[in-house]
Order: sequence, then structure tokens, then C-alpha cells
Amino acid sequence: MSLPSLAEVEHSDWPSLQRMCETLGLNPKGRSAIVRMRVADYVRHRAHAPSWRPAREHQAALLTRLGHPDLAERVWESTIQLEAPAPWVGLGHAQLAGGFLAEAAKSFARAAQMGDPSGELHRAEALAAGGDYRGAAVACEAYLATHARDLRALLMKSTFLARSGFEEEATKVLHAAAELHPEVALLQRTLGLALLRSGHHAAAADALQQAVHQDPKDVDADVGRGAALLLAGRTREAIGVLREALEIDSKRADALNNLGVAYLAMGRTKSASVNLERAAKHRESPRILLNLGRVMEGANEPAEAVRAYDQVLKLRPKDPEAVAGRKRLGVPTKSRRSPQKRTAKSPKKAARTVPRKTAPSVEASSS
Amino acid sequence: MTLPPETTGRFLPSVDRLENTMRAARRAFDHGDLEGALREDDVAIQLKPEYDAAWLLRGHIFRKDGNIPGAIEAFAQALKINGETQEGWLGLASALHEVGRFQEEGEAYDRLLKIHPRSIEAWIDKGAALHELGDYRGAIACYDKVLGMRPEHAAAWSNKGAALLRLGDDAGAARCMDEALHLDPDFYDAMANRVLLYRKMKRPGETVLWADRALRFREAPWLWYVKGAAHLGLRESTLAMKAFEHALALDPKSKEARAGLRKAKTLHETTDFYRGVYECFGTLLVGDPGCEECEIRARCREVTT
Repeated sequence: MSLPSLAEVEHSDWPSLQRMCETLGLNPKGRSAIVRMRVADYVRHRAHAPSWRPAREHQAALLTRLGHPDLAERVWESTIQLEAPAPWVGLGHAQLAGGFLAEAAKSFARAAQMGDPSGELHRAEALAAGGDYRGAAVACEAYLATHARDLRALLMKSTFLARSGFEEEATKVLHAAAELHPEVALLQRTLGLALLRSGHHAAAADALQQAVHQDPKDVDADVGRGAALLLAGRTREAIGVLREALEIDSKRADALNNLGVAYLAMGRTKSASVNLERAAKHRESPRILLNLGRVMEGANEPAEAVRAYDQVLKLRPKDPEAVAGRKRLGVPTKSRRSPQKRTAKSPKKAARTVPRKTAPSVEASSS
Repeated sequence: MTLPPETTGRFLPSVDRLENTMRAARRAFDHGDLEGALREDDVAIQLKPEYDAAWLLRGHIFRKDGNIPGAIEAFAQALKINGETQEGWLGLASALHEVGRFQEEGEAYDRLLKIHPRSIEAWIDKGAALHELGDYRGAIACYDKVLGMRPEHAAAWSNKGAALLRLGDDAGAARCMDEALHLDPDFYDAMANRVLLYRKMKRPGETVLWADRALRFREAPWLWYVKGAAHLGLRESTLAMKAFEHALALDPKSKEARAGLRKAKTLHETTDFYRGVYECFGTLLVGDPGCEECEIRARCREVTT
């Protein structure tokens, strides 16, 4: 026997109400409002409860995600009770979404006080959102005091330390994370790239080698390793690694650029120019074009060099390196507006490109 | 109590130890072991005397144990340490309510509302405290605040209805109670308020109807008494006698119920109407299809006011 819906009971006329009473075995006698109430009571109490009904906590969480943090905050407040840290976490998130960062940090601290250690991690996020990276790192540390192996906390702490200027400390944390979780291949790569950024080229190369060892197809790690070796002065090794990387992905502009720079360092100008031209085709980056210009200058091809510098000036007008390059080649500043015109070759030999001035694109490989 | 060596060495109690003690106290409290909870809480307070969470827990333990003065003291201490805790103000206010210190209870809610102006719980409880103090308009203002934030709050509608009833606005009270029962058809408080409203309006038919509905959810001697009195009005002496007997079973000292029972017995000697299946007896509505078909319509018309 199927029950009528409450809406049907609410709107049915008198004969229909009586039929419902008959079907449900209810007393059909009395004033219509009372009979209607009788049927409605029966339906409410007999109808199967829905398998899931959103509790206030669910409603509050949904409101936060739907972009109504103010309403969510109110609902969370109504769920707060003794011994339950979860509503404080929810309230904190609603406050965070509403932009009340200090309040959010307090709510998360409250959750942590009530025994939910993850409250500290949430607090770290709130503090970081407010720009207090040092405080965020301290909050992560508080969490790590009880969850020393927690990868998320370790990575958060490392990020916050790096952002607050403690790059060495950040790298140490990454190192610890990599030691605690050798099974996570990405960690070695992240550590390697962090070391590369902080200037520890040899250590970066080692970490990135481990990353490649764990995942031989990790082209990012390979390219990063190539850059690290190049910066560490191990040019021959760098060339080998970068060529391996390009075998996996021949269109990697950063690898082509770095390989070009490496060849230039070895004095192989032709190979350098070929790779840098290919890199410039794949990515019109000022850095790559400046390197190309330098190489072309060194190869006594001033027209090509000027073209590269002009391209740089299109991308970055007044780029000092490009302007200086053009000056060296004796091209008046105005002429850059007509790149089609070829400038006459300078009778004097252009000075050899100083390899030091070309730069491997560390940024490109770390992205 | 001797502190562990690592603690005494640092002159500071171990944070871990404090946390573990608090956790143990909360666990014991959750399991109803008030003695154990208090013991652990004592240790926590000794470790860190200025720890508001420990004082709050102490307040809850005392309150659950019936030691209301102790609870008040503990909550007050927690608030001295941290005056911004909602839990502390609500705990203090509830403890004050339990000993009938409504004025101070209201002040506690005022303090809390200064910190958390949107605390639904504080507004509704403040309204209830003002109601107890006879400030019905103030109470209504509190309920209106709640309804402004949460229009679906059935308790706020019911409480507002009760306050309006006290102010003599029967129509307004009826509207509020309708709203409360529409939002929560099984809301006992709203049903009980409706019983009081109909009694005041001298409509015994509706009084019996709603008293019956409320009694399905919770027994209360006063509800049985009101129902008995309404049956008397409807000349239903047997039902009246049964209702008064129920009231006396729940509260044997009730003089009103005893007097009502005597009246019902006296009435029984002259008249005793039997309503049969018509639970709406005494609520005749001219033109209603159900009333048109009713077999006891003539008698219903006589008793319907």
C-alpha cells in the first residue's frame, strides 16, 4: 500500500480525504481539518524516513562550499557543543571563506585545544592566508609534534618556511620528508628543484638523479638535473642528461635552451645556435631569445643576433640586455621598428660571446 | 601530587600531560563517571590553575551532579580567565536559571551577546529568562531577533506565542503557535501553549483536542488537569474523571485535580455524554463537510463556543 504524499493530504478535497482514510484504515469521521491532520500524522509517522537527510553540520558545510560563508557561520555556531571540535573546524572554514582570517585562526585553535590536532594545520592555512607565514610554519610544527610523519604537514611547513624567507630550513624539511617517505617519487623531484633554486647545484643534481631513478620517465626531473649539472660546472654530464630528456620530449623549450647554453660553454657555437633556435620556436621567451642573440653574436651573424634582440624588445620593450646587444652591433635604436631591413655586417669582428652571460632557464625547468 | 622529574626540571607542567589529563576527564564525563571526571579535572587545574577549559569542564561536571553553586563558581572562574567563551557564558546562565536567578541569567546573556551578537542560543535563552521575569515585550524582542536570523526556528515561534498570550494578544499568539506547529508538527511545547491558549479562550473542544495530542508526546499532571476541566465543560463526566485521575496519579498532592475529580463525579450523577469516534467534539464549524455529516452534530453545536 503506497502512502499519499503530505502535499496530497494538504490539498485533497473532502471525498479524497475520506478515501485516504478508508485505504489507510483510519477513522474518517469528524471535522475536515481534524481528519486531514489525522491522515497527515499517519503519513508523517509511517512514511519511510529518507536514507540520508542533511544534518545541520552538512548544511553548514554545503553553505560554505556554495559561497554563503555568512550563513554557514551561523549554522556552524548553532552546532557547537561541549567536546566536539569538528564544528569549530567548520566554523573556521566558514570564517576563512568570509575573509575573517583572525577569527578563523581562533576557531581552529579552539578545535586544536579541544583535542583535534588537525586544527593546527587548518590554523596554519588561515595564518598563511593572512600572510603570517612564520606563524603558519609554527602551527605546522605544533601539528608535527604529534604527527611527525605526516606528509601534508611537512610539505606545508616547507612551503611556509620558504615563503617566509627561510629557504635553507624549508629544504631541510623537504629532505626530512623525502627520507621519511622514500616511496613518494615526487618528493625527490621537489627537493631537487628546491635545492636548485637555493643554489645547491650539486645536491640538487643528486636529488634529481634519485627522482629519475625512481621514475625514469620523469622528464621534469631530468631537465632539472641537466640544469643543476650545468650550473654545477659539470657541462659534459649536463649535455648527456639534457639529450636524454629531449629524447623523451623533444619539444621541451627549457631543455633545448639549457642544452644550447651547455654547448656554448663547450665552445660548440653551431650546436648551441641550433638548439636555441629550436627552443625559441617552441617558446618565445626573452631569456631564450637573449641567449640566441648572444650565440649569434659569437657566431658572427649579427643580422640573426639583431633579429633575436628585436624579438626580445617586442616582448619586453627597453630590455637592457637586448638594448645593449643592439648597441654592441651598432644598430640605431629606431631601426628596431623595421626588423625586415637587414643591417650591414660590422667590419669589426664581434667579441666572442661570454658563456657566463647566457643563462640556463632554471625557472623553466622548475615550473 | 608530585610532578614528574622532567616537569619539575622545567618549572612548567608538561603540556602533554595536561592534555592527556583533560582528555581523560572529558572521557570520564562522557561516560557519566562524574567522580572520575572531577578527579582528572582537579589534576588539570593543579597543573595549570589558569586553564579556562578545565574550569568549564568543572562547571559542567558540577551542574550534571546537581551542585549548582559549585557550577556557578566554576563557570565564573573560567570566565575570569577567558571572558570571551560562549560555552562559559551559556554554562553560567543555565546554572543561574536552575537556581531561579533570572536577573543575573539575563545579564550573562547580555555579556555573551556583546561578544557573539548572533548567538541564537543566547537570544532564545535570554527571551526565556525575560519571560520568567515577566518582561514579555523584552522576551518578544529577543524571539524576533532569532526569527530575523532563523525564520524556521519553531521554538522561537512557540515562545513568542507564549509571550503574546501573556500580553493578552490571543490572535497573535494563535498565529505564532500555528507557525511553530507548521514547522514542527510534533513540537510538544507549541501544543502545550496551544492548550493554554484555548483554555484561556474558553474553547473546551479545542482544549481537549490539543491536550490529547500533547499527551501523546509527554505526560504532565497539569495537562491532564486542563483536559479534565475541558471535558467537564463538554459535559463528558467519565472522560473528565479519567483525566483527573491521571493527573492525581502523576501528582497525588494536586488539590485542583482532586476538586475537579469531585466535580466530575457529581456531574456523572446527572449527565455523561459519550463522543464516540468524534475526537473533534466541541469544535463545530458550520459549513464544514465533516461537520455536515456528523452524527452528534446537534450536541456538538450546544457545547461549541
